Amino acid sequence: MSALCQRRTFIQMRTVLKVVDNSGAKKVMCIQALKGKKGARLGDTIVASVKEAHPNGKVKKGKVVYGVVVCAAMQRGRYDGSEVKFDDNAVVLVDKQGQPIGTRVFGPVPHELRKKKHVKILTLAEHIA
Amino acid sequence: MWAALRSRSSSLHPWKQGIAVPPGLNPTAFYSSSFTTATTNKAFLSLQEIEKVLNDVRADDVKVLSVPNVHADWADYVVLATGRSTWHVKNIAQALIHKAKQKQKGVDRKVLPSVEGQEEGKWIVIDSGKIIVHALDEKAREYYNLEGLWTTETSQKEPNLELEKAFVKIRPKNNSKKPVQKVA
Repeated sequence: MSALCQRRTFIQMRTVLKVVDNSGAKKVMCIQALKGKKGARLGDTIVASVKEAHPNGKVKKGKVVYGVVVCAAMQRGRYDGSEVKFDDNAVVLVDKQGQPIGTRVFGPVPHELRKKKHVKILTLAEHIA
Repeated sequence: MWAALRSRSSSLHPWKQGIAVPPGLNPTAFYSSSFTTATTNKAFLSLQEIEKVLNDVRADDVKVLSVPNVHADWADYVVLATGRSTWHVKNIAQALIHKAKQKQKGVDRKVLPSVEGQEEGKWIVIDSGKIIVHALDEKAREYYNLEGLWTTETSQKEPNLELEKAFVKIRPKNNSKKPVQKVA
């Protein structure tokens, strides 16, 4: 294995993720990846705890929330053989039923979310990769 | 493994052709049917049918938006509808699915549009390829403000230019009697 390229891994417990919507939180730490033994990937849901938040937002620090991973450093294969990967790990906060808590999503969002039934996040996004 | 990848490569963006890829279907059969029934696919509802169904269900405030440039790859039209209560919103979703089922009466394999948010009736999205229907209740509609998001989509990029000009460095006016201290 070449030492030059970095090996990107799953999103698991203690992974800190950026929040890209306007729900009020800035950083969350993953507590549990809901599906997958090794961890969460792009398009999966996670349970996270808010570590940093904007002072007047809908979520406060220390709250346990659900989130959908929209940017992952680990590459995800697409049907045409290409792979997508981002520079950082980012998440959009969601409630238990899958409704987004914020009203806008910033940054690019991959269209893997459509297959995973997260069309709501896609509609709120400003750019679709 | 290469063969498997190649056979799936034409199903990139299957929603562009207006056909969903049913799981387990033989790839060669899919190709033969895709070219003949691309425009007459029974599974997906057309705009007129959706409007008729929404009128029957008496959904409030139905709006049809053609998709802004950002989202143009994966949909053509977005329909917004409001329901008076959660039950009404669920009813709108059920009516659309029922219509899709009716349309495909003779077919062996039915392809249903995908529904999200069915248990909680606050915001239900029905994704049928080219057309996406959002059924919201009044509070959700105000909260998410989807029309505001899409109609001002193209003008969102423009204010940024003025923002860059706004960060011009201005020398602070020295109104105090003390002389200006030179920053070394």
